[in-house]
Amino acid sequence: MRLTRRARALKDLDRDIRDHIETETQDNIERGMPPEEARWSALRKFGAVTRVTEDTREVWTAVWLQQLMQDVRYGLRMLKRNPGFTLVVIATLALGIGMNTAVFSVVNAVLLRPLPYPNPERLAWVTTYQDANFESVATADFLDWREQARSFEQMVAYQTNIGAIGNADDAIRTGIAQISDGFWTLSGARPAFGRLFQPGENSIVLSYGLFARRFGRDPGVVGKPVMLDGRQVTVAGVLPKDFRFLAAPRFAFTDESINIEAFTPLVFPPGSQARAMGMAQCGDVLAKVRPGVSIEQARAELEALETRIAKQNPNPFFRRMKVRLAPLDQKLVGGVRPALTILMGAVMFVMLIVCANIANLLLARAATRRKEIAIRASVGAGRMRVMRQFLAESMILVLLGGAAGLLLARWAISILLRLLPGSVPRLAETTLDGRALLFVLAVSAAAAVTFGLGPAFFFWRTDLHDALKDGAGTSFGASRAGLRVRGMIVAIELALAIVLLSGAGLMVKSFWRLHTHPPGFHPENILKVSLSGPPFRTIREADLRELLLRVESTPGVQSAGITAIAGMAFRGTPALRPGQVSRFTINAISEAYPRVMGMRLLKGRWITDSERDRVALINESAARYLFGDDDPIGRPISLPKGPTPPDADAVVGIVADLKYSKLDADPEPQVYAPYPHWMRLPFTPTVVIRTPGDPSAVAPSIRKLISDVFEHQVVVETQSLEQALADSIAPRRFNLFLLGTFAGTALLLAMVGIYGVIAYSVTQRTHDIGVCMALGDQRRAVVRMVVGQAMSIALAGIGVGLAAALGLTRLMVSLLYEVQPNDPPTLIVVTLALAATALLASWGPALKAALIDPATALRHE
Amino acid sequence: MSTREKDRLDLLQGTLDLLILRTLLPGRAHGHAIAKAIEHNSEDVLQVEQGSLYPALHRLIKRGWISAEEGTSENNRRAKYYRLTIKGRKQLDVEIGKWARLARAIARILRPAAQKVRV
Repeated sequence: MRLTRRARALKDLDRDIRDHIETETQDNIERGMPPEEARWSALRKFGAVTRVTEDTREVWTAVWLQQLMQDVRYGLRMLKRNPGFTLVVIATLALGIGMNTAVFSVVNAVLLRPLPYPNPERLAWVTTYQDANFESVATADFLDWREQARSFEQMVAYQTNIGAIGNADDAIRTGIAQISDGFWTLSGARPAFGRLFQPGENSIVLSYGLFARRFGRDPGVVGKPVMLDGRQVTVAGVLPKDFRFLAAPRFAFTDESINIEAFTPLVFPPGSQARAMGMAQCGDVLAKVRPGVSIEQARAELEALETRIAKQNPNPFFRRMKVRLAPLDQKLVGGVRPALTILMGAVMFVMLIVCANIANLLLARAATRRKEIAIRASVGAGRMRVMRQFLAESMILVLLGGAAGLLLARWAISILLRLLPGSVPRLAETTLDGRALLFVLAVSAAAAVTFGLGPAFFFWRTDLHDALKDGAGTSFGASRAGLRVRGMIVAIELALAIVLLSGAGLMVKSFWRLHTHPPGFHPENILKVSLSGPPFRTIREADLRELLLRVESTPGVQSAGITAIAGMAFRGTPALRPGQVSRFTINAISEAYPRVMGMRLLKGRWITDSERDRVALINESAARYLFGDDDPIGRPISLPKGPTPPDADAVVGIVADLKYSKLDADPEPQVYAPYPHWMRLPFTPTVVIRTPGDPSAVAPSIRKLISDVFEHQVVVETQSLEQALADSIAPRRFNLFLLGTFAGTALLLAMVGIYGVIAYSVTQRTHDIGVCMALGDQRRAVVRMVVGQAMSIALAGIGVGLAAALGLTRLMVSLLYEVQPNDPPTLIVVTLALAATALLASWGPALKAALIDPATALRHE
Repeated sequence: MSTREKDRLDLLQGTLDLLILRTLLPGRAHGHAIAKAIEHNSEDVLQVEQGSLYPALHRLIKRGWISAEEGTSENNRRAKYYRLTIKGRKQLDVEIGKWARLARAIARILRPAAQKVRV
């Protein structure tokens, strides 16, 4: 084995030295010395053998490394001597680093990591739209693109639906993606069991989640038939655990976030390429751009293609179509980017506060070490050497804090994942990976430099001479300048805290706004029963009437109503700006429905189950959109696929807007019509049930009743309306939870910071205070002085913080709801809260100061 | 360690390096022989603390000016021999030049003082 130069040179050093001394001894003997004296003289001439050996070895040791080891050893000794201090610093650091790492891991999983399909950078999501945001691609268009577009390696159409899987008695509802051929290649999917279907097969491929949940992880299910929406399909295979459908699913008539858990082939009926009046839609398109072709080029080509199609087809349907094409990752996570960016910023603020707090602690402690450092400096330690010593100590603290923070982060991530709505895409992929570790390292190093060098720098400016002469008592950390620096650091902490608190406060207020329901609307007393499955393909009015009767006669049910979405209308009206189009939802409702929901009639009359004429209720938004300032009562409205002649539906009443499906969306224009007139099949009804108390109490008996009425595969989902509403704003709740946690931590740390400075200054000034009191100062004056000192720091921090908050909260507009980012009441409450905290933190030290016994204090020192 | 003491050591080290390089110019030698040669050639004016030879030797090895090799001594024992490298030979010229300049400079400074004393 080859030795290093160092090892080769140092090999046999001891032998050489021994030989050297022996040869010298021999020489001396030859010169006539007695052997004993000869040896002694040789040794004296040589010098201390141990020292020579050490010096020689040292030639080969890098000096900086050696000094570093020395610094680390010394640092460890210092930290061991102050276990309380060390623990506080490590715990604070762990908190900061842990929080940062957890949030970064989420950002990493959701925003930074590439999508888990092959060549993710070349994947795009494509759709067409006309009017408003109604996005869908006509099958004929898709087929033409696939044939003619040169920019794409592959194009796959997909459609997402909600389907019922399982037998009559235990069917479950889940998201199903119908996919055209080529999807398996595009996604790089490999089956975990069985195989992936070929186009045109009557089979289904299950996600691992569904396979586990519904089929008990039994591989025997492969090749067996299962019921899907009342028809039989064969299970072809199961996908691996980590496979995900990477397009955000969109379902007609619902905003629920339901994951795609099964795949079936999308079949284009023969003749799809012909453009007929009733255009077949195939959903949206996933496309893989050819290597070397940019997204812009691909988009331009499709747009040109679409223009040509419009020219060749006089059908007005095509003339209005526009292409929308976005990189798949942007489409998937674009919506959560602002929220995550803000959370990352917020957690960085927490880290800054952590660093400020630790810098403060170190500064206070540096005061007691002033003499030691002065001695080191006076015997020749350079400025760099002293700084390095401080840095080494910070490094040790940061390494320990970082390790603890990592543990904390793992724990925090598992909590976040459990807490988290399925509606944040890719969140489940969150793990502590190499990039996250690198991030921890970077944050830690930055922290060490921030709070390690600060004290060393301030410290260096003290006069060595004074330091050596004085005791530790009047050192820099306690001197007026030192306290001012520490006060400034605390003020900065408070400023950061107030920014976080303002953000959290605004979100709390948004939440409060979201949860303010109009009088009469009591979602906590309403049970929402969603029905779906094959029976509703053939259901008749009489069946529904019977169902309602039986539900209403169930014990514990106050009243029950039915609603079903009968259609959507997209239209512009003279009341809207030209080209502006709104989406109208047509709800087929039973007579009792508005009463159950607690709707308020503003004008006209309610509708009944036995209307002879075609009538409709509209809500305020619809009235505003359709009729502007005119009185809509008695006016006809034209609804799509309505009866002939058109314009036959007459408005008989206006109800107040009510948000009962998605809390954070503006109320949509709604049309309510009697369900007997609007039973368009399939009719998938939602039964709403009003109960006096907790609505989930009646859920089991309702489920039983429904499975008695329909013996065929029915999926029943029951949820209190309150829960459904809460789910509709789950991502907001998540943001609030995180920002709230950060703000709380910031407040706590700021409180500790201000307490530390004030308590320390009281201890340092015990003597002065004693003198003041001996001279006749009242205890009250002493309290006022101490509290005043704390409040002057607090006010400075609050002032700066408010200014910063006014600037920064503007960035979070997208997270707010009906609250201005500079909402004065919120800012006032936050300011008062922080001032109260500062007051609270200084109260203890102030009382301690007031209780100083002048006689004892004067003897102090 | 005070600064002054360190400075003295530095001076000694530098000089010792020069002397070792010069001693090795005729050929390889082992540690004791080098010490003896320096003492002998300076007519015993320079009393080298023999131990300080070893850190100096290793410093020179590290710089690549001399190399060490195993050899057999006169009394048939294995010993380490040091030899000047080509780089070391060049360095010796540089060091001698430096030393001459230093000596001249110091001499120039000292000369007037010496004359004054004579007067």
